[in-house]
Amino acid sequence: MRARKVKGLDPDGTLADNAQRIVRVRLDEVYAFFPAALEPDAVTELHDLRIAAKRLRYVLEVTADACFGPYAHTAARRMRDLQDLLGEIHDCDVQLPRVEALVAELRDADTRELLRRAGAASDLDPALAADLPHADDWRGLLALESYLRARRALLVERFGAFWRDVEREGLRARLEYAVGERPDAPSDLATTEPAT
Amino acid sequence: MAKARDIPGLRGDMRYAEAAAETVAVRTQELFDHRAGVLDTSDIERVHAMRVATRRLRAVLEVYAPCFPGSLLRPALADVKELADALGARRDPDVELLALERFAAAVGPRERAGIERFAERTRSAQLAGNARLAAALGRADADDLRGRLEALVEHVGGQRPRPEGPD
Repeated sequence: MRARKVKGLDPDGTLADNAQRIVRVRLDEVYAFFPAALEPDAVTELHDLRIAAKRLRYVLEVTADACFGPYAHTAARRMRDLQDLLGEIHDCDVQLPRVEALVAELRDADTRELLRRAGAASDLDPALAADLPHADDWRGLLALESYLRARRALLVERFGAFWRDVEREGLRARLEYAVGERPDAPSDLATTEPAT
Repeated sequence: MAKARDIPGLRGDMRYAEAAAETVAVRTQELFDHRAGVLDTSDIERVHAMRVATRRLRAVLEVYAPCFPGSLLRPALADVKELADALGARRDPDVELLALERFAAAVGPRERAGIERFAERTRSAQLAGNARLAAALGRADADDLRGRLEALVEHVGGQRPRPEGPD
């Protein structure tokens, strides 16, 4: 997902004024994914939202303490938590098709083995299905597949609850106020970025 | 995970370009400080630390992009992205293998054969990722990525601000 261009940046302006413009655009980018990202099967939207959250988080980490004060720092932490949660969902979304592909591949291999065992027979003797080459693999692979599906469902629920908390907190309005009005901006503090 | 280093003297009222020079200098140093031992697959935290450093550097290059000449920034940013992608190609299987080990340990012996079957593929991906990372590090050295990033810093750091006040 390409980042939106931030207009009006001026190398000779102050860091805070330029950072304000960047934060506003990155904040809009995050909110543009709602409500679509709250749909359970919104794989692409969740992936793109994770990237948008990462972009907002990093600009806040660079500028929060130096320019905007404590709420910008809090917003950076919220974006980090959002990014982590979406990352866990993304891991399920990436791993599950690979597990399914391996299951399909092994099933095809066992089918080929059965046909080999059948030889010239006109029908298949059920006894030939005993001890297929991948019989020992099914249990673990199907457990893993089910685990990934169930875990994803739980994480998506948690994401919904997380976002409701963010909305209740009023993150958007509070961050816009922090970067626009800078009520708590430090005047002469060196920045300290949060650990990631 | 390593905490990001402070940027000494960074203030909201400083010139954007000056902040760019200070920040990119620190993040460049951080990136190369994390380079040692990243190809060692027995210690997966090294790759993680360097990947995070790469992300932080990439982020500040994007945040401060208007301060740098595009002809210097674009190739440096592309090379940092390539390095980040290569680190990700190693890190993703590292993390997956760790999760599979934990899953196998939790579910019990009857499930392990299937999980091991899947893990074999992840190990292959880890080796391929390590080879990609080795190549990316080699290219970064050959193309003097560090020197080019330092040149970016020098370029904006050496520029004087516009005079203030009435003519």
